This record gives sequence, structure tokens and C-alpha cells, in this order.
Amino acid sequence: MLLRLIVVTFSMAAAVSAVGLAPLTAQELASAAKVDAVTIPSPGELMAALNKEAKPNWQTQYRPPIPTTFPSRIQIALNVGSLIADGYIAVEAEDSQQVKNIGKDIIALAKSLAVSESVIARGSSIVDFAEKNEWNSLKEEMEATQNEVKLALLEQNDSELVSLVSLGGWIRGVSVVSGWIAGNYTPGSAKLLRQPAVVALMRAKINELPEKMQADPLIKSIARQLADIEKLVSFSSDTVPTQDDVKKLRELSIALVQEISKKNEQK
Amino acid sequence: MAGCGALSPRGVAAESNAEVQARSAALELAGAFSNDGFKIRDGRWPTSIAVKQPRFIQVNLYAGNQYWFIAAASDEAKRVEVTVFNENGEPVATEPHQSGVRAAAGFSPQLSGPYYVRIEELEGNPASVCLLYSYK
Repeated sequence: MLLRLIVVTFSMAAAVSAVGLAPLTAQELASAAKVDAVTIPSPGELMAALNKEAKPNWQTQYRPPIPTTFPSRIQIALNVGSLIADGYIAVEAEDSQQVKNIGKDIIALAKSLAVSESVIARGSSIVDFAEKNEWNSLKEEMEATQNEVKLALLEQNDSELVSLVSLGGWIRGVSVVSGWIAGNYTPGSAKLLRQPAVVALMRAKINELPEKMQADPLIKSIARQLADIEKLVSFSSDTVPTQDDVKKLRELSIALVQEISKKNEQK
Repeated sequence: MAGCGALSPRGVAAESNAEVQARSAALELAGAFSNDGFKIRDGRWPTSIAVKQPRFIQVNLYAGNQYWFIAAASDEAKRVEVTVFNENGEPVATEPHQSGVRAAAGFSPQLSGPYYVRIEELEGNPASVCLLYSYK
């Protein structure tokens, strides 16, 4: 309980210099773990960063409701992730009704994965927090819901789909943030989009999918488009993307999100 | 599965006492930071640690955000430390927090991109350790 009394103030003035610490070796860098639940940032983090650069009108980034049934588990996993990102957008907009709407869609879609009652219970929590305007709790609840779905997939021996949930959320987050920055460009905002290692990790995970899954037309299309997206988010540390670069990223990511959510019964 | 270190499926082998201890301690420390508005990420990284055998994990951060990287070990350990390095492996200035088997590093990147977090056991016996992070 003593820890609860600690008043923590984050101050860069208190930052300890890194002088004296040896840099990591190439071997140490290569040995670094890359764990889906920690290495891939949540959509909420990207939105939090943009909030510091600007005051986005998050409601302008809503999209029409997407289907809540899909013929393929691949699409279900991708769209659960993208709906989680939609949930974050609604939370940023502090739009209680939209949060509840998205929450219901997430659960409807997740149910088609035969998820456990714990996932369903998350839906109730989302509604409860939304009704009480508990926005910080909702941000944590969105990720917790996503992780419950991932756990359900692991339990069903569908571990390959876990990374697709993350991918769906990440690409929707990028489409939203790049969409806003494209229309409200500042160099500072544009530099936020730098995330070379995330795309590299996503592409590596797609390459690790079973052969049959890699042959899926949607997965093949995602693999192609991620290669183009990677070029746009892998700029060097001293580069500032232009507004045209950001518009291109917006176009690519929006197109990918739309393709992911397109219901094609023949897939 | 390599990509899901932090998600332990129900029905698979339960966490050991040491893992539960490390996770609980990490969450408790993270809870203290949440009083200052930090949101705890739901994912975490459970691993093992020993003196002279640090562990590294890649994270991807956004400029302008503030982060706390929090690690806690089971009681076999005596002292752990968390440090952060940029994408080139160079150490970055952080705000340290260290208390026995619990440690944290606060960091606010000026540049978005990949970073590396090192968990190091400075003293003690091999132990379980859990890393998570929070942001605002």
C-alpha cells in the first residue's frame, strides 16, 4: 500500500544521464525479444502522441459500421483488431454512444470466433465504463478486450490469427492518424508516423504464417501493400515526411482497411 | 508462440508461483504510476533472469508520449534495473526508479521508432521477471 502513496512526477529534469552506460552490442540488439503484446504499440499510444501535437477532431475519423460476420477467420481476426482501433477513436472523441456501438460490434464479431464468456463480459464492461464516461479505464479495457480475443484464439489453436488481430488494429490506427495529419499537416505530426520496426515485424509475422494461409488472396494483398506502407513509415530519423508522403500513406492504409472489411462471400 | 509471450492460454500450464509473484509486483508498481495518469498496457513480458544475463526487448514508441517501463522479479532476485536504449543501441537518459526486485525507467522519446529495454539483475539468484509498460 505504501506504493500507492508514492507521488510520481515525471520530469525530464530528473532524468539520469546515460553517460557511463555502454551501448548495446549487435548481438544484444539481435537477441532482443519481439513480443506481440509489448513490441507492437496499441492504437491508443499513437493517438495519445497526436493529441500532444494537435487537437484532432476524432469524430471526423469515424467510418460507417462494418459487417459483423465474415466467411473467413482471417478476416474476422483482422476486423476485430480494426474495431478495437475504432473503439479507441470513440474514446478519444469521448463519445459514449459510439463507444457502446463499437463495443457491441466487437463482441458480435468476436462471438463468431467462438470466444469465451470472458470476452463477452468485456463487452459489458465497455458499456458500463462508457455510460460513466470513464475514458482512461476504457483505453485499458479496449486493449484488455483485444487480448481476451487473442487468448481465445490461442486456446483454439489459432495462434496464427493473433498477429492478424494486432495488424488490423495497427493499420486502422495508422489510417486514422495519417488521415488527420494529411489534412492538418505539420512536420511534428508527420514525424510521429515513423515506425519502421513495427511494419517489419508485421511482415515477418505474415511470412511465418502457414503456407495455406499465406496463399489466401487477402493475405497476399496485405503482404504486397505492407511493403509499400513500410517505405512510407521507415524514413530516417532526420527526415520529415512531406504532406504528399502522408497523403500517400493515408491512401494506402485506408485502401487496406477497406479491403480488410469488405465482405466477399467467395473468399 | 514467440509473438505472444505475455498471453498464457487457459488450459495450458499455469504460471509458477515465481511468475505470479513477479507479475503481481510489476502490476502493483505500475498501479502507482497510474495515479499520475499513466495507462497500463494490458500486455506484458514474462521471462527469466540471472546476474550477468540481462534480457532485452524491442518496443516501439511515439515522440511526445511519456513511458514507464516497469519490471519486477520474484524473491530469488535481490536487485534489478531497467535501462532504455535507442534503435542504434545507444543508452538514453531516463528517470530511474529502483527498489529491490522492482525497477522502472521513465522515458519521453523525442523521436518515434524502435527502442530497446534492458532488464538486468544486479544481485541475487536466477529469478522470474515480468516487464510491462505504461504511457500517457
